[in-house]
Amino acid sequence: MSRRAAGDAKRWPGLALGAGFFFAYVYLPILILVALSFNENRVVTVWTGFTLDWYKLAFHNDAMLRAAENSLIIASVAAVSATILSTLAAVRMAQVRFTGQTAVNALVALPITVPEIVPAVATLMFFASLGVTLGLGTVILAHTVFCIPFAYLPIRARLEGMDRALAEAAGDLYASPRRAFFKITLPLMMPGILSGLVLAFIISLDDFVTTFFVGGAGSTTLPIYIFGLVRTGVTPEVNAISALMLLISIALVSLSLFLGRSEHRY
Amino acid sequence: MPEPGAEATRPSKNAIELRNVGKSFGAGANAFFALKDVSANIGENEFFTLLGPSGCGKTTLLRCIAGFEEPTRGEILLYDQDIASLPPYRRPVNTVFQSYALFPHMTVGENVGFGLQMLNRPRDEIASTVNEMLRLVQMEELRDRRTSEISGGQQQRVALARALAPKPKVLLLDEPLSALDLKLRKEMQVELKRLQTETGITFIFVTHDQEEALTMSDRVAVMNKGDILQIGSPREIYNQPKHRFVADFIGDINFLDAIVTECGVTCQAEIVDVGMVEFLREGEIAVGQHITLAIRPERITLSAQARHPCRIENIVYHGTDTIYHLRLPNDDRMLARSQNSEGHAPAWQTGDDIGWAAAPDALAVIADNPS
Repeated sequence: MSRRAAGDAKRWPGLALGAGFFFAYVYLPILILVALSFNENRVVTVWTGFTLDWYKLAFHNDAMLRAAENSLIIASVAAVSATILSTLAAVRMAQVRFTGQTAVNALVALPITVPEIVPAVATLMFFASLGVTLGLGTVILAHTVFCIPFAYLPIRARLEGMDRALAEAAGDLYASPRRAFFKITLPLMMPGILSGLVLAFIISLDDFVTTFFVGGAGSTTLPIYIFGLVRTGVTPEVNAISALMLLISIALVSLSLFLGRSEHRY
Repeated sequence: MPEPGAEATRPSKNAIELRNVGKSFGAGANAFFALKDVSANIGENEFFTLLGPSGCGKTTLLRCIAGFEEPTRGEILLYDQDIASLPPYRRPVNTVFQSYALFPHMTVGENVGFGLQMLNRPRDEIASTVNEMLRLVQMEELRDRRTSEISGGQQQRVALARALAPKPKVLLLDEPLSALDLKLRKEMQVELKRLQTETGITFIFVTHDQEEALTMSDRVAVMNKGDILQIGSPREIYNQPKHRFVADFIGDINFLDAIVTECGVTCQAEIVDVGMVEFLREGEIAVGQHITLAIRPERITLSAQARHPCRIENIVYHGTDTIYHLRLPNDDRMLARSQNSEGHAPAWQTGDDIGWAAAPDALAVIADNPS
């Protein structure tokens, strides 16, 4: 667009200031946290020099490592399970048409908008009434369930953008439904599946509320562990652990963006 | 209904036989009959076209032959074998899709080889067939390109090569040229006809473009509202339409209501307030019967001396020819077209009273079905 309209948002007074304030408010604390994780001084707010000691300490902290291990196990199993279930659901939903299909699609996505505390409490009551011992298993189960909408949405979006004639063309060219799925549908869905997987993994890795409610002995995850540390005071070690989690998240989001962009190749 | 296609010459062997094929969607009061009762024989090596407006059932019929839709009733025979119950991947027919439906994650060559790969043919046979097919559609240089990197016309050729590679018994083409611009479409029409002659494969071609149907086909089936109204060679469909719809759908035509006054080898009919016309006998016609006669604008001869009077209401110059809008004494309108063989302006002007005439074989008798 060569000429800007009079109401162009770019000309509103104070826009740059407002935007600058927004970005500072969101990202400055994170940058300061990362910077302070390299601070030599034990008092978090006083900078005395650069050190990697806090990272060394963190990597020798058995409780932290166990929590990190739990987090990775839970996030991996939950994300993979949720992605497989979502893929199956999305494929079937794309194949068939039935009355109430829009409602079913909406119900699958609805949990994203429900305050997490509600299903967390409900799930806890559910496990308690069944007499199930809370632990890694219950956390994985709960995470799988709340990850499903996050995995389902990108997969379904990908499938809906696909020409139905592609699967028909495969059938027309002598591919059985099974071969057509593995040769055509699945490869074309892959960017959606991988985005769904990454999204589910991050959501699970980051979760606090559900984990806190349905977790038990031996199922402490990183967010829960960090919460425990912070209650006794923020140390540079907490900063270091947080910075590491941030690194993992950024890496995964970048991967997901990269995979999302590769969709345009098709 | 008379047996469709009986009047046209066609090869003795049938590649496809459609027997009373019907297809409805939904049930009860909401049921929609996409195909009512379609019967036709499509000969070996024939270029057969299903022509009709959108929603006439032509694509549904094609999808029934391909196996993407299951007919609700009737039989579809491929070389005398009933294929109605076979899934698409067990039918030796291939389809060129309207959207081309090329696999975007594969190269041009992989697309063309896909069918053979699914048939578990040896690797070297696949490679040589792919090259042969790409040569056939003049796309050899683009074998290793991705399908998203080639133009619409090239995608069209790849789609053709892919469908031809497994050497199907019948090739189905679902409006394959509709996405191309006019010039490319004309090129591809010639190309398709050439491919059909070279490969000797039976083509069933779906289109709503009457010109496309007339220029490429051996025979055309004109469809409307789930039925085949008439099957015949392009010449028959154009010159001897049996139905008002067929006559109207293909090009411009004039309808004249008349009463039969005499019927021998040729018949006479009177058009009230216009006069007597002579036409060729076609089927059962009785003296006193009310009939509709159809005549193409270019079959009308205009001259000052011709027997039927008319008045010129408008003259439209079209370059290659001129269209005259005429008014008859009974107040009916009529179109006449005359070729511009000379450069000068026509001898007549708007408002002139002149005459028109028609040769007996220019008038076609239309079955009276106002649908």
